[in-house]
Amino acid sequence: MAKKTNGNYLSGKEIRAISKANAKEMKRLEAYKKRRASESEFLTQMKNNDNILEIDDLHTFFFTEQGVVKAVNGVSYDVPKNAVVGVVGESGCGKSVTSMSVMRLIQGPTGQIVDGSIRFKSSEYKLDEKGSPIPKADGGYETEEKVYDIAKMPIREIHRIRGKQVAMIFQEPMTSLNPVFTIGQQLDEVTLLHLPGATKEIAKAKSEEMLRLVGIIPENVYNAFPHELSGGMRQRVMIAMALAAEPRLIIADEPTTALDVTIQAQILDLLQDIKNKIDGSILLITHDLGVIAEMADYVVVMYAGKVIEKGTVFEIFQDPKHPYTIGLQKSKPTMTLDDSTELYNIPGNVPNPINMPTHCYFKERCAMCTKKCSGDYPGMVQVSPTHFVACHLYDEEKNNG
Amino acid sequence: MDELELKQNDINEAIDTDIPLDKNVRLMSPTQMLLRRFFRSKLSIIGLVMVVGLFLFCFLGPVVYNQWGETERDPVGGVECEEAQVTTYEVDGVTYTVRGIREKPMPYNVKAGISADHLLGTDEMGHDVLTRLMYGGRVSLLVSFMTVILMTILGVIIGGIAGYFGGIADNIIMRLCDILMCLPGVPILMILSAAMDGWVEQQWIEEGMRIYILMFFLTLISWPGIARLVRGQILSLREQEYMVAAEAMGYSTARKIFKHLVPNVMPQLIVQMSLSLGSMILYEATLSYLNMGIKAPYTAWGSMINIITTNQGVLKYYPLIWVPAGVCIVIAVLGFNFVGDGLRDALDPKARR
Amino acid sequence: MAEQLNKNSVVYDDEAIVAEFQAKRKLQIERDCAQPFDQQALLEVRHLRKCFPMKKTITGKVTKELVAVDDVSFKLYPGETLGIVGESGCGKTTTGRAILKLHEPSGGQIIFNGQDITHLKSKQMREIRKQMQIIFQDPYSSLPPRDTVGGILSEPVQVHNIVPKDQVKDYVLKLMDKCGLRDYYFERYPHEFSGGQRQRICIARALSVNPKLVICDEPVSALDVSIQAQIINLLKELQREMNLAYVFISHDLSVVKFISDKIGVMYLGGMMEFGTKEDIFKNPLHPYTKALFSAVPNPDPTAKMERIKLEGDIPSPANPPKGCRFHTRCPYAKEVCKHVPPEYKECEPGHFAACHLL
Repeated sequence: MAKKTNGNYLSGKEIRAISKANAKEMKRLEAYKKRRASESEFLTQMKNNDNILEIDDLHTFFFTEQGVVKAVNGVSYDVPKNAVVGVVGESGCGKSVTSMSVMRLIQGPTGQIVDGSIRFKSSEYKLDEKGSPIPKADGGYETEEKVYDIAKMPIREIHRIRGKQVAMIFQEPMTSLNPVFTIGQQLDEVTLLHLPGATKEIAKAKSEEMLRLVGIIPENVYNAFPHELSGGMRQRVMIAMALAAEPRLIIADEPTTALDVTIQAQILDLLQDIKNKIDGSILLITHDLGVIAEMADYVVVMYAGKVIEKGTVFEIFQDPKHPYTIGLQKSKPTMTLDDSTELYNIPGNVPNPINMPTHCYFKERCAMCTKKCSGDYPGMVQVSPTHFVACHLYDEEKNNG
Repeated sequence: MDELELKQNDINEAIDTDIPLDKNVRLMSPTQMLLRRFFRSKLSIIGLVMVVGLFLFCFLGPVVYNQWGETERDPVGGVECEEAQVTTYEVDGVTYTVRGIREKPMPYNVKAGISADHLLGTDEMGHDVLTRLMYGGRVSLLVSFMTVILMTILGVIIGGIAGYFGGIADNIIMRLCDILMCLPGVPILMILSAAMDGWVEQQWIEEGMRIYILMFFLTLISWPGIARLVRGQILSLREQEYMVAAEAMGYSTARKIFKHLVPNVMPQLIVQMSLSLGSMILYEATLSYLNMGIKAPYTAWGSMINIITTNQGVLKYYPLIWVPAGVCIVIAVLGFNFVGDGLRDALDPKARR
Repeated sequence: MAEQLNKNSVVYDDEAIVAEFQAKRKLQIERDCAQPFDQQALLEVRHLRKCFPMKKTITGKVTKELVAVDDVSFKLYPGETLGIVGESGCGKTTTGRAILKLHEPSGGQIIFNGQDITHLKSKQMREIRKQMQIIFQDPYSSLPPRDTVGGILSEPVQVHNIVPKDQVKDYVLKLMDKCGLRDYYFERYPHEFSGGQRQRICIARALSVNPKLVICDEPVSALDVSIQAQIINLLKELQREMNLAYVFISHDLSVVKFISDKIGVMYLGGMMEFGTKEDIFKNPLHPYTKALFSAVPNPDPTAKMERIKLEGDIPSPANPPKGCRFHTRCPYAKEVCKHVPPEYKECEPGHFAACHLL
C-alpha cells in the first residue's frame, strides 16, 4: 500500500474538502430532481421546429470522492426529425452520458444533471376531462405535440417520455433482456404499457408484427427464452422492443459493438432498413467511424465531455476541420490503406476528467496547436451552414463571417 | 496534411520535455480509498470504537484499575442475604406470601454493592466484578482470536489446495466440508467436555487447559466456512487474466499461490475473520456458561454469567454480578459484526452507494 | 420426376463419408508429424487439435466433446507476424493459448525453436515460457490489482534472473521507456491508468523476459481508435527492434492487415484459408474470407459497396454442421458441401484454403 506522504495522492484534508462540497451539491440537485412540479414548469418551446430533440449546453457531472468528473461539459446538438444523428468519440468522452441524460438514467446521487436543457418534442395522446384518450374516426387516437424540457422534469414525471417517446437499444444484448420471461411476454408488455386500451390479443399481434419487421419469424421466437437465442437475434429482439411503442426517438448506444463482424453487418442493414420504415429519429452512439459513415446523416464528434465538431456526414468525413477528427480518421487502419508506412497516431492520452485544464483539452495531443491554444477554451465556429467546429485554427472565419 | 505529419515529431519531443498533464492529477491511493469508504458508514465507526474500547478495557484496564488482583478476594467480612423463611397466609381466598431474608455473615466481602472500593461491586466469592470483567475479557478475546486465526490458517491451506489443484483433491475436501458442516458444534463439545472430566481426574490435563482444548476442537470443525470462501475466491481469481499471465510467465506454483492468489483473497478473508470473531466469542461464552469453560479461580465472561444457573437468588437480586459480563459479550459481538460489515462494504469495489 | 431426381442428386452416406475422411486425415497427420522439423522456423504447429470435455460419465469418461480447434497447421519464422482472424467461437484464442500450452493440446504437434514441446511437463515448460509470452485483450483484468507497476515489471525479471539483482530497477525503467511509460509510473498502481497505458504495461511485462514469440490475443480490441494506433505502432516498432515474432489474434480485419505478414482465417475451430497478406487480401479464395471483408463498415460515406451478405448466425461450436462447417451460411453452398468436409489444400504456393468450390 502507498505511503501517506506520497505526493502523488490527495491529502486527507483535500479529501474531506471534496466530500463536503460534493455532499452539499448532491443534496441540492437530488432535491430538485425529486420535487413535485406542475406541467407548466417544464413545458417549453423548440428553437427550431424541425428538430425532435435539442440538447442545449448540457452539463452532467459525477461527484466522486476524488473530485468532480465533468462527464458532459456544455454539450449542444440537435436531432432533426426523421434523421440519424451519429455521436462518435472515444471512451470517456461523454457520449453515452449525454444519451443517458436524455433518458434521465444517470445514477444518483453521484451523477447529476447540473445545468442546461434537453428539449424534446413528444407526441402524446390527447386526453379528455376524465383522463382517457379520445378516439379518432379512422381508428387510433387523437394526438397532440408537447415540448418538454427533460432536464427540468421531476423524476416522477419521466414516465411520460421514457420508453414511450424515447426508446433505447443497449450495447449488451446478453444482459438487457430479462432471463425469466419469454421474448413474447417482454414484447407484449411494452405494448400493454404504452398503447391505451390494448388487450393481450392486440399486444400479441403487435409483437409479431414487430418481430417480422426485424427479420425474425415470430413462431420460432415468440415463446422462446432469451438464453435460447444468439447474440444477433437478441439484438434484433431488443430493436423490436424499442420499436414496439412507436417512439419518436430511438437511442442506440453502441448497438453493434458486442457483435461479430458478419452479424454486425446484418444488424446495420436492418437498422438502415428500419430507418426508412419508421416515423422517428435515431440517435446512434458509437466509437466506430465505419458504422457512423454507413448509418448517419449528421455526425457529432465529442472529446472529453465537449462537442468539438458537428456537421453532416459528408462534411465530417470528407472535409474534417478539427485536428482530433482528422487524426481519428487517419489513425483508423482501413482495408484500403497502404500498410507499408507507420500508422498515424494521436500521441498521449485523454486528460484525466478530474482537474481539466482551462485551455483546449486537446492541446497536449494536437499536432497543429498555436500560441492561441494556451488561452481560453475555443468557442464553436460555424464554417458552413451545417458545419461547426471548436478550434482556434478557424477563429478568423468567425471574424470574417 | 503534410504539414500535420511534419509537426507530429516536434510535438512528440515537446511533450516529452514538458511536465505531462497526468503528473499533476492527484487521486486517492488504495489505502485512502479503503479508509474513506470504511469511515463513510457510521455503523462501522461505532463498531470500531466498541472493539477498540473493549481491547483497551481488557488489556490496559487492569494496569489503571489495579486495586484488586485477578483472583484476589476482598477479605473484609461481609454479609450475604438469603431467603430464609417463606410463610403463606390465606385471607379470604387470597394467598399472600411473606419472604423472610436472613443476613448471613461471610468470611469475604461477597455480593457487595457499588462503592468506592468496588466500582461494580463484588461477586458471590468476593472477587471485584470490574477486575474480573477485565481479566475475563482477556481470556474471552484471546481464546476467540486464537481460534479464528487457527481456523483461518487451516481454512486457507485446505481451501487453497481445493481451489488451486481442483479435481479429486477438491472433491474430497469439499465432501469433508459438507460432512463437518452437518456436525452440531455445541453437543459435540459437551460430549468432549464430559470425556475431559475423566482426563482431568487422571491428571492427563490441567483444568485450566479445558477451554483451550475445547476451542481447538472447535477450530477443527469450523474451518469449512473459511475453506469454502477461499476455494470460491481462488476459483474465480484463477480465471482472471493476470493469473493466466503469471502461468505464462513460468512462475512456480508456490509463487502463484502466495504472491498472486492469497493477497487477493485477503480482503474477503479479513471480512470473514472479523465476522467469525463475533461468533467465536459467543461460542466461548456458551461453553463457559454451560460450565465447560474456564474454572474458578480464573474466569471468562461466559463463566461470570454461569453463576445464575446454580444460584437463583443472584439472578433475581444481584444483577450487578452477571449483567456487566452479558453487556460485554453483546458489545464484543456487535462490534466485530459492525466492523466486518463495514470492511466488506469498503473492500467491495462494486458496492457503491 | 423421381427419375430426374435420382439422376441429378448423388445419394450421400454421411457415416461412410465421415469414416473415410477421418481415416484419410489420420494417415495424413501421422505422415506429417513424422516429418523432420523445419530448423529455420521459430514455431511450427502441425494439425493442432484441442477438445474440451462437455459431458462426463460418473467414472470420468468423456462422452461428448467440444472441438474448439480442429486441425490447424502453420509455420512462423523469426521476426514474422501471423494474423489469425475469426469471429467469436472460432477457436482463435484457444489456438493461441494451446501454443503456450496454457491449454494441454489434444492432438497434433507444437514445435518451438526446433524442440517438440507438445508433451513437455509444466516444470520443463517453465524454462521455455520466458521465450514465449502473451498479451491479453482486457488490460483491466490482466494486471494484478494490488501491485505497483514497478513490482509487476520487476517480478518476472527477478524470477528468471534476466539481469543481476542490483540492476533490476534500471532494466525495468529502460523497458518502461521503450514501451512509452514514464518513469514516475514505477510507484503507481494499475487502477490509476487508462486502458492504453495499461496495455503498455502488459506489453512491457511480456517483453521483460526477452521473449522470441509473443501471442497477442486481441491486444487492441478493447482500446479506442487513437490509442489502438499507438499500440499497433509500438508493437511494430518493438518487433523491428527485438526481432520478435507475433501471433496476432483479432476479429478486426483492418488491424490484422496492418500488422501481419501471414494471415489465417478461422471459422468454428477450423482453418478456412491461410496465406501471405497479399494472397488473402488481393486474392481471397474462400467465400467466408470474402464475406468477412465485405462486412467491415467503411468509414467513407460515399463508398457504397455491395455486401456479400451472410444469412443466419454462427452455429454453436458444440454442434458444428456436417460436411463443410461453413455451408449453413455460405451463399454459394452446393449439395456436396452439406455432406463432405472439404480438403484443406494448397491452391497456390503457400496459399491454402478449404472449400469444395476451388
